[in-house]
Amino acid sequence: MGLESIDAAAFLLRLNLILLFLGALAIIVLPGRGKPVAAGISVVLISIVSGILALHSMRNSGVEAVFSMGSFIGDVRLRIDSLSAWFILIIAFVTITGVVYGIGYLKAYKPLSAISSLHWFFFLLFQSSMFWVCMVQNGIAFIMVWEIMSISSLFLVVFDHTNPRVLKSGINYMVQMHLSVVFLSIAFIWVYFKTGSWDFTGIETYFTRFPNIGLFVLFFIGFGLKAGFIGLHTWLPHAHPAAPSHVSGVMSGVIVKMGIYGIFRVITFLKADYLLLGEIIIGLSLVTGLFGIMNASVHRDFKKMLAYCTIENIGIIGIGIGLGLIGIALDQSVLYFLGFGGALMHVLNHSLFKSLLFYSAGSVYQQTHTRDMNKLGGLLGLMPHTGGLFLVGAIAIAGFPPLNGFISEFLIYSGLLHAIQSPGVDQITLMILAFAGLSIIGGISVLTFTKTFSALFLGSPRIKLEHEPREVSKLMLVPQYLTVGAMLAVAFMPFLFLKIAVQILDVNFPGSHLLENADVPGYASLLRHISLFSLMFLLLIGFVAGLRYFLTRNTVVLHNETWGCAYTAPNTRMQYTGKSFSKSFAKLFGFILLERKEFNELQANDVFPQRRKYSSHYSDIFEKKLIQPFSKQLNRFTNLFTFIQNGRIQTYVVYGIAFILIVFFGTIFNLWH
Amino acid sequence: MIGFILIVFVSLFFTGIIIRTKSLAAGRKGPGILQPLKDIIRLFRKGSVYSQTTSFIFRLAPVVYFSSVVMASLLVPFGPSRAVIGFEGDFIFFAYVLGLGKFFNIISAMDTGSSFEGMGASREALFSMFAEPAFFILMGSFALLTGFTSFYDIFNAIHLNSYTGYALGTMAALVLVLLAMIENSRMPVDDPKTHLELTMVHEVMILDNSGFDLGLILYTGYLKFAMYGALIANFFIGGLALNLALPIYLLIQFSFAVAVGLIESFMARFRMSHNAQFIFALSSVSFLIFFGVLLIMGKLN
Repeated sequence: MGLESIDAAAFLLRLNLILLFLGALAIIVLPGRGKPVAAGISVVLISIVSGILALHSMRNSGVEAVFSMGSFIGDVRLRIDSLSAWFILIIAFVTITGVVYGIGYLKAYKPLSAISSLHWFFFLLFQSSMFWVCMVQNGIAFIMVWEIMSISSLFLVVFDHTNPRVLKSGINYMVQMHLSVVFLSIAFIWVYFKTGSWDFTGIETYFTRFPNIGLFVLFFIGFGLKAGFIGLHTWLPHAHPAAPSHVSGVMSGVIVKMGIYGIFRVITFLKADYLLLGEIIIGLSLVTGLFGIMNASVHRDFKKMLAYCTIENIGIIGIGIGLGLIGIALDQSVLYFLGFGGALMHVLNHSLFKSLLFYSAGSVYQQTHTRDMNKLGGLLGLMPHTGGLFLVGAIAIAGFPPLNGFISEFLIYSGLLHAIQSPGVDQITLMILAFAGLSIIGGISVLTFTKTFSALFLGSPRIKLEHEPREVSKLMLVPQYLTVGAMLAVAFMPFLFLKIAVQILDVNFPGSHLLENADVPGYASLLRHISLFSLMFLLLIGFVAGLRYFLTRNTVVLHNETWGCAYTAPNTRMQYTGKSFSKSFAKLFGFILLERKEFNELQANDVFPQRRKYSSHYSDIFEKKLIQPFSKQLNRFTNLFTFIQNGRIQTYVVYGIAFILIVFFGTIFNLWH
Repeated sequence: MIGFILIVFVSLFFTGIIIRTKSLAAGRKGPGILQPLKDIIRLFRKGSVYSQTTSFIFRLAPVVYFSSVVMASLLVPFGPSRAVIGFEGDFIFFAYVLGLGKFFNIISAMDTGSSFEGMGASREALFSMFAEPAFFILMGSFALLTGFTSFYDIFNAIHLNSYTGYALGTMAALVLVLLAMIENSRMPVDDPKTHLELTMVHEVMILDNSGFDLGLILYTGYLKFAMYGALIANFFIGGLALNLALPIYLLIQFSFAVAVGLIESFMARFRMSHNAQFIFALSSVSFLIFFGVLLIMGKLN
């Protein structure tokens, strides 16, 4: 790394700060209409500058800068290596699409200018804080930027602040994010006490000297709360539906990935216990994936469904991470490469198609003002672009070949297939379970996404909406098409992206020496072949479609009502809803998918028909059976101490005096030694 | 390439043989072997009626369904001769390509807005989800046994020459036959000849298809049968020479068709609520294969 590149990096970093400052100023100063524009321009510029920085660092195998932050924290190292660069590039892309889509999305709301200022200011801060999270290499500074990221995203989530349910979700999010901070702080303080360093190199020193597993588990819980591993996931299904869609897209696309980034970062310092940790992570991820997609398949709120689906994808990424760790442990270069490589590729892919899905789902919400898919239907004719985009996202997320989801899932599947050849029976069994589990996850995704797509876009409208939905504005469509473009790039040129991922594997991870034997060019050409076959598949479809057109051009085509099986008075309420579509599945797994029904039993003397009510909801087994009882007990316990906070000012004054007296006498009698 | 040509060739007669077997078992003379093919050609020439509710999805779906099965057939080798497409982990591609076809089939049924077709679509999604792990555990076990990860290599490396080996081969054939029955919506799971929409799975999904599209869907079904038959045959003709492999292949395909006919003649369809259990039980048979492989490899000591 030459001196020149350091200068360039430092310049770009400063430029970013200046842009952030100017952007924030412009958002506050400009009148209502100008605020989103200012935010948009700043976000795009900051993304571009950060992207250049990331590419620059990749070319120079990492850039570093040091900022001094007072005597306590000391020097804070900012370092962008390939791992940071990978995530920075993803954040840069998703925030650009997010901000453009968001400008279009919020146009319909016409909020007060104060709220608009706040929203866009926090969006800007949120974006920069995520970049910082990827750069900072110092425990205290990391916690600070991590906190900025959580708080700014909290303000983005509670945009619709007049809705009490949104506020409740926001508070839930805030509490859980601070639990994450607690775990991370303990971990960093632990490292500091053992090694005397806040710098990330301290973690490495710690791992070389002491047992690895304890500290890693602390970090894993802290980061896992952000990522949404099972048991730590309960904020996701509340926060994502509550947030406006451009925010949920960015949150699900990248903020969740910051947890994954953290786990990756800690793994780069890991020195031992690879096998055990790898097996634990695979097991946990498998359960996470299955649990996520099972819940996704039953919910009627389509944004909640997408949130659970994010949990599922975190599971898939986790399987890749676990595989990579096992690869290091067993000295299996192919596993190392396929596991971590697959996980990194899936991080990229998921951030693309999940943001796309959230954007198109948001378009539906903006036009219909409901998130209940059982009230919608037949939107494809009214919103053809949105419908098509959602379909593309659905096919990609279910992992089907012509699109990018297949690429990363294929890498992970291949990794599992290789891992089946490991020596131990326990590993073989775990791998075959993961292999089968991944296929079940795929199967349930088909169920979930056929259900959601059909309920939203196909058939006829189930109820008459207040306003006829229309196709959304170009401002909202363009970023979605941009995302599709990126997805196609990954699908048909995966080797380009794999090359960058390989660079990460080459430098950052403890098993980097393994990469030499991993036959990377072989897999690159395999992926090239797969995308070629995918292309062939597309051409085949095109050819058959052409043939169909050619052969049927002279035949008679009639249009008529759907065949009602001889029933002559069908109506649109009789269509299969999302709920009925997944009913038999939900019934089979009723022990996990808890259903609550509310209705009055039909009485013997109810002779005449009258209006009746029936409602059914699914709830999260973790939240209902584990977290709610626990917090109820906690509440009961803390309620014992309510006499301390009794609302009487006199008592509070007594507390103050008592405190001063204690300090006073303590000093007099010299008790503080 | 031979593999694909043979699948297409077999697909022309497969359903005819099934129907003939059923007729003979019922004591009737039955239509000619080529009758199903003639029906399809007739359908290809006919006009179509489309539901007013449907969108382009409904017209696209049969094409995607057909293409997916053709693409999957291109991946199936023929004993000693390689498939048109083959690479490490190709059976994953195989399963996912078929999955895309199914995806479109399901949304096309939902596109009509008919409650009956929705019911069929929901069942199809559920059953194929349950069938998925059986196939993956099966292939994963054979990947473990042979150390290879592509269809061609796995089939050519299998040497089932011990008692455990014969048991494995039989169980694998059983799993594949039943998978083929599920994927093609045939007897123990679905009855193609039923006349009540409420008890249909696949048939009710295509209620609104007519003309060319219906013909395409029906032919895709025949092709799918032949494809699964080819997969089963491959388990037994792996290392053989071509002049020996070909008759065995045709014999296996023929007996597969006869077996399907016989099963349909002498068995009733399961109750709908038992289907899920039945299909999931297939995965446990696959697990037995997995443990058998562990036994053969001496890992369970």
